[in-house]
Amino acid sequence: MTAAAVDAVTGLAAGGGVVLDLSDEAAEFGRTAQRALETAGGDELAQAAEREPARRAELVAPVLDELGAWDLDPRGSADELEAAAALCRAAGWWAAPYPVAQRLARPAGGDADALFVVAPAAPAAPVGGLDLRLAAVTLDGRRYAATARESDVPARRSAFVVGLDLAPLAGAAADADAAGGQADAALGLVLGCWTLLGLLDRAMTLTRTYILEREQFGQPLARFQGVQFQLTDAEVERAGVAELAGYALWSIESGQAEALDDALALRLAAVEAAETVFRITHQLHGAMGFCDETTLSWLSRYSQPLRRLPLGRSATQDALASRLGRRGLAGIFGPNAMAATK
Amino acid sequence: MEYDLGPEAAALRGRLRALVREHVPADYLGAFTADPADLAIAQDFCRLLADEGLLCMAWPEEFGGRGASLWEQTVVREEMWARHEPRGAQYMGVNWVGPTIMRHGTPEQRAQHLPPIARGEVIWCQGFSEPGSGSDLASLRTAARPDPDGDDAGGRAWRIHGQKIWTSYASMAQWCFLLARTSSSGRRQQGLTIFLVPMDSPGIEVRPIACMMGPHHLNEVFLDGVRVTEADVLGEVDGGWAVVQEVLAFERVGIARYARVERLLQEAPAALGDAWDELPAELRGRWARMLTHARRARLLAYRVVSRQGTGQVSPVDSAAYRIAVTRLDQDGAEVLTEIAMAAEPDGEAGAHVDSVDPRRWRRAVEDHARYAVASTVASGSIEMQRILLSRALVAASGAPSSAQPGTAARAGAAS
Ligand SMILES: Cc1cc2nc3c(=O)[nH]c(=O)nc-3n(C[C@H](O)[C@H](O)[C@H](O)COP(=O)(O)OP(=O)(O)OC[C@H]3O[C@@H](n4cnc5c(N)ncnc54)[C@H](O)[C@@H]3O)c2cc1C
Repeated sequence: MTAAAVDAVTGLAAGGGVVLDLSDEAAEFGRTAQRALETAGGDELAQAAEREPARRAELVAPVLDELGAWDLDPRGSADELEAAAALCRAAGWWAAPYPVAQRLARPAGGDADALFVVAPAAPAAPVGGLDLRLAAVTLDGRRYAATARESDVPARRSAFVVGLDLAPLAGAAADADAAGGQADAALGLVLGCWTLLGLLDRAMTLTRTYILEREQFGQPLARFQGVQFQLTDAEVERAGVAELAGYALWSIESGQAEALDDALALRLAAVEAAETVFRITHQLHGAMGFCDETTLSWLSRYSQPLRRLPLGRSATQDALASRLGRRGLAGIFGPNAMAATK
Repeated sequence: MEYDLGPEAAALRGRLRALVREHVPADYLGAFTADPADLAIAQDFCRLLADEGLLCMAWPEEFGGRGASLWEQTVVREEMWARHEPRGAQYMGVNWVGPTIMRHGTPEQRAQHLPPIARGEVIWCQGFSEPGSGSDLASLRTAARPDPDGDDAGGRAWRIHGQKIWTSYASMAQWCFLLARTSSSGRRQQGLTIFLVPMDSPGIEVRPIACMMGPHHLNEVFLDGVRVTEADVLGEVDGGWAVVQEVLAFERVGIARYARVERLLQEAPAALGDAWDELPAELRGRWARMLTHARRARLLAYRVVSRQGTGQVSPVDSAAYRIAVTRLDQDGAEVLTEIAMAAEPDGEAGAHVDSVDPRRWRRAVEDHARYAVASTVASGSIEMQRILLSRALVAASGAPSSAQPGTAARAGAAS
């Protein structure tokens, strides 16, 4: 076969310039963070935080401080945004008991340490046991200062979620255009989804290992087609979220007008995927998956705030649909498509 | 990161859209209808694309192409599938018959077959499936038995007896890419050979099968002593299985199903006009969700394409894509049909019309929905993809891959 024929088949001809992955530096930063969190306790972190919620900050924040995480400005450059996303995914892998994404998304200006996207009807956030100055933003871009309410629900049941009191911002920040607030909302949603993606990665990895080790009927569970097919259903969902997470990140870093649409689309897919992935990974772990000694049970419980806040599946879908109106979603036939082909 | 395919891709997209607008009727629903005029449109359009250098742009220059990039090929696939494939059955020649002949064909076979494919003049069909052999393709029984007379040049010849089924476009095809058994010793996969057979050979009979997708999609092909010689063998005698795996791998990424779903979804509000605002909010929510799924399938396709660029396509990527995109076809059809039914059957669009003719849109939705039922079966059922994906996932963690029956199947598995 001629070299030209090989090219035609494998399509090695150059072109496109499409880049679907985080920069090498960002990916490396993510791996470093994952190792650092492992050294700091890994799966033990969530357990220690649950016993003593007041220790949440000291368990996680200094490790990330040492990596320079809090110097990242995700609004500042594409590189920093991608590094932030990689960090969130690493935090998700360990279900790190700290609002890493929300701290990274803190508003510019230094008035708050963390930014939470909230639903105005029932503002809440997993900030129990933390001493942080909080900012909040709604999906339509309204910004607030937030204070955490007292709660006597144990972390084991609340997953650190407490109600928030919102106070509209006074002065310059309140006057800021809604677009700025919507950009904040997009950033908050997207980084939160990167964290959830890390949880899904881990749940899948644990389940793969489990079905290879656990034997029934004289063979590993992985040999049963019924088991294999469930695993593939979960993997297709997880893989789809990974792609949409990349897209939504690019949408922010390249300043697309539809960044909030893209963030909501990602969030809808991520919440849906989490439902499938956790149902299946629990199912394939059998009774073992519910036990404290099994990491899956910790991931499953601490995935809850990420899946339910600010909005669960139906409300996210509603919010996306009303934003899209008749316009639809950007794509090859979407609102910006014809402009691109003129 | 960069998700924009870039200005060249956009220019190509614009050019293809202009050509379609000018040369393909707006209400065109593909070449496979009872109306021969639709086939003629596809024949003409293929010639036009060939003249414009757009039909086989991905092929190397020596075979009549211009070595276009994978991303340009992706744009072509998207635009053609979204417009109901105005290339007709010829897309198969471009996507997999030609490339496979480039890889495995003799100089004579390349010279004979590639130019007509590149000019869009010839239709091929794929003779793999048999009544007793679908997913378990290697069990096929159509047999090529040695013809003692041999060929004129003193080489070998065979007589083929058997039956193929589900053969798309067989009644319009001039050539068949036929898989037959040449040996029954050894493993089942080892005794199979690809023959390139003219459909007008004595002993071939085609019978159409009426089906819900419409005419031409499914046929039976009976082979009664069809004579073939060594010159008709593609690749090695008894070496056909490896070629089939390549064909299936090409085929799996060859159709951008997500593009048609995305287009129909995007057009829905304009097609419904004022009725759009009367839809239940839940249905508009499902529409938004389906748009998200269409994007997801497109990005999974781009993942496969970008890995092709670096020569590292893994079954994890291609099977995940195919599972997602074939499901999208069906889930999208459900939502689109429900939206279409909410519009008045003969109503004109209301105040919000952009450029979408509501009747054309509803017919396209109906056509899509009938075709989508088959998407998880055609080119190998979705279960074969799940087997491939789960094997790869399990193998990725260092364990032996499982030995389920059916894994050496029509999944493109390298088994
Ligand atoms: C529209 C259309 C066009 C086609 N065009 C062509 C063509 O041009 N040329 C050609 O050769 N063929 C063609 N086919 C045939 C196609 O390749 C086969 O339909 C496909 O490979 C499945 O084979 P089958 O239909 O015999 O189903 P079977 O193999 O009988 O399987 C039926 C169902 O059983 C399940 N199943 C089977 N095996 C397993 C397993 N091991 N594990 C779990 N589940 C399993 C799957 O759900 C499968 O869908 C076409 C089919 C369609 C629908």
